[in-house]
Amino acid sequence: MSRSTVTAKPPAPGLVPDTRGRRLPRTLHPVAWWIWALALATAVSRTNNPLLLFLVLAVLGYVISMRRTEAPWARGFAYYLYLALTVVAIRVVFRAVFATGITPRDHFLFSLPHIPTPDWYAGIQLGGPVSLEALLSAATDGLRLACMLCCVGAANTLANPKRALRVLPGALYELGVAVTVSISVAPQLVQSVQRVRRARRLRAGRHKGLRALRGIVVPVLEDALERSLRLAAAMDSRGYGRAGTATRRSRRMTGALMLLGMCGLCAGAYGLLDATAPQLLGLPALAAGAALCVAGLRLGGRRVTRTTYRADPWLFPEWAVAGCGVLSAALLFSGAGFDAAELNPSIYPLSWPTLPPVPAAAILLAGAAGFLAPPPTASRVPAQRTEETT
Amino acid sequence: MTDRATAIRIAPRAGLVIALASFLGVVAFFWPFLVAPGKFGSNYAPPLIFGVLLVIVLCVVLSEIAEGGINSKALAMLGVLSAVNAAIRPLGAGTAGIETVFFILVLAGRVYGPGFGFTLGCTSLFASALITGGVGPWMPYQMFGCAFVGMLAGLLPKATGRREVLMLAVYGSLSGYLFGFLLNLSFWPFSLDPNSSIAYLPGLPFTQQFHRYLAFDLATSLGWDTGRAVTNFVCVTLAGPAVLTTFRRAARRARFQAPVEFR
Repeated sequence: MSRSTVTAKPPAPGLVPDTRGRRLPRTLHPVAWWIWALALATAVSRTNNPLLLFLVLAVLGYVISMRRTEAPWARGFAYYLYLALTVVAIRVVFRAVFATGITPRDHFLFSLPHIPTPDWYAGIQLGGPVSLEALLSAATDGLRLACMLCCVGAANTLANPKRALRVLPGALYELGVAVTVSISVAPQLVQSVQRVRRARRLRAGRHKGLRALRGIVVPVLEDALERSLRLAAAMDSRGYGRAGTATRRSRRMTGALMLLGMCGLCAGAYGLLDATAPQLLGLPALAAGAALCVAGLRLGGRRVTRTTYRADPWLFPEWAVAGCGVLSAALLFSGAGFDAAELNPSIYPLSWPTLPPVPAAAILLAGAAGFLAPPPTASRVPAQRTEETT
Repeated sequence: MTDRATAIRIAPRAGLVIALASFLGVVAFFWPFLVAPGKFGSNYAPPLIFGVLLVIVLCVVLSEIAEGGINSKALAMLGVLSAVNAAIRPLGAGTAGIETVFFILVLAGRVYGPGFGFTLGCTSLFASALITGGVGPWMPYQMFGCAFVGMLAGLLPKATGRREVLMLAVYGSLSGYLFGFLLNLSFWPFSLDPNSSIAYLPGLPFTQQFHRYLAFDLATSLGWDTGRAVTNFVCVTLAGPAVLTTFRRAARRARFQAPVEFR
């Protein structure tokens, strides 16, 4: 991945480093990756065409192999692919086992033994004849879901979660601190467990399995809690809990906004579900409630003052990456220049799906993120940038 | 100072918000049984709408809990215990994964009170998802479920000695089942082919829909859930007393609600 196999001369001291036409490596803003991936997932939700879906997977694979870092969270994409396979398999198997019979137009494949279910369990059939069409439709639908899952996986792989934590609103400052603490403490816990186990071996602790649980858990927990008290003292001495600019009035206002917003959300949820509720109670009430809650969160953020050390910039590459994802979704939803039926090819009559050119181009456009984003930091110096906490 | 130290106090306003949030949570999980026929066009839209809804609700609840003040000791303990949870989560057997999380969550909720339990449920899953790269639309549902497991553990009735451990063990295994039931419900509407006889079919009467869901739950995850329930029961019974003592000692040393005096 490190394409910068540098044979260049070292830069002259005091000058801007010569990048020889290449861009300087830096991490893209995590929100840009998330927008890109979610837009692609939205585009995927529109289509059922297996050719387009495989194209999406190829694009994801290309972008990830171009722009992923060496960080621990960047190794997870393979698990998402396994998960995707499982999703497809579950869908196909369940379609075959919990069948609903076949029509005369279907191609008969094989028949599973029919198992009768009791009368009171009406509507659920087990076994019976299985058709090719049923399995194909289950597989393509499953593939769509799997593709959406892989888009989310790609965002997880590409975006740096520690830097994403900064996007949390000020009202959730405490949550962010707790999560940051836990991410930094987790590796120390592993060391703690190793220390305890070594001590047990030295003392010839013979218990194995579940019986050893107590002997390991308690010392590790004691260690962790001890550490938390030390950490709290350190936080106190560095001025944690400093009050922000919130006045008594603005706090009351925050509370009122939140409560009103929650009531709006409740009314909206009720309106969404009940058929007799007036139209206004559905999505409009939900949106109004959400807006009130967001306003409350903004106002509540005044409780704390935060300063940013090394802000993540939002420059041209961020606009470009987010933009190509959104544009690809917009193209697929606009239906311009292609027949919408080509996105969801029918399985009656059974035929090989065609690859419509405009949607394919739209998906390839999303793949442009692979070179629009700046290259990630070279693998030799990941320790400095990825270990740093917010 | 009582035996049950409350690390994070829930103010009346936060209590009201939590009550509203639990109503919304019930709706967000149980909508397949509650919705009137013909209200939703696609099976993909409602889980997303309710997922966004749950994110907002969680933000509001956490912000309201924090409004009452989380002192540095409670916050540091929150961070460290979520690290413990995030570290032991992958120890559980594979993808179901939540088996071992409940163990610390239930015990900590019991000792440090409902507010702490709620927050710990959220931060544990959040930290774990960030570390393992598991952020996604399923997270609000998981966080919501875990938050309520932790909070309800803090609201359990008074008991001491063996009865307390037994009560917590039973609660741990029951909550394991309930968590599995709810989480399955959250992805059931879109995870199966609509023509399958155990898939969600909009517009069916409640009993038939419920039968379909039960069959789905039985076929997919009853084994997992049983494993989770058993693990919880065994862990709490074996290590529960010692861990409870450890937590209580830490609570005494931290003196969360120490009176402030100026002289």
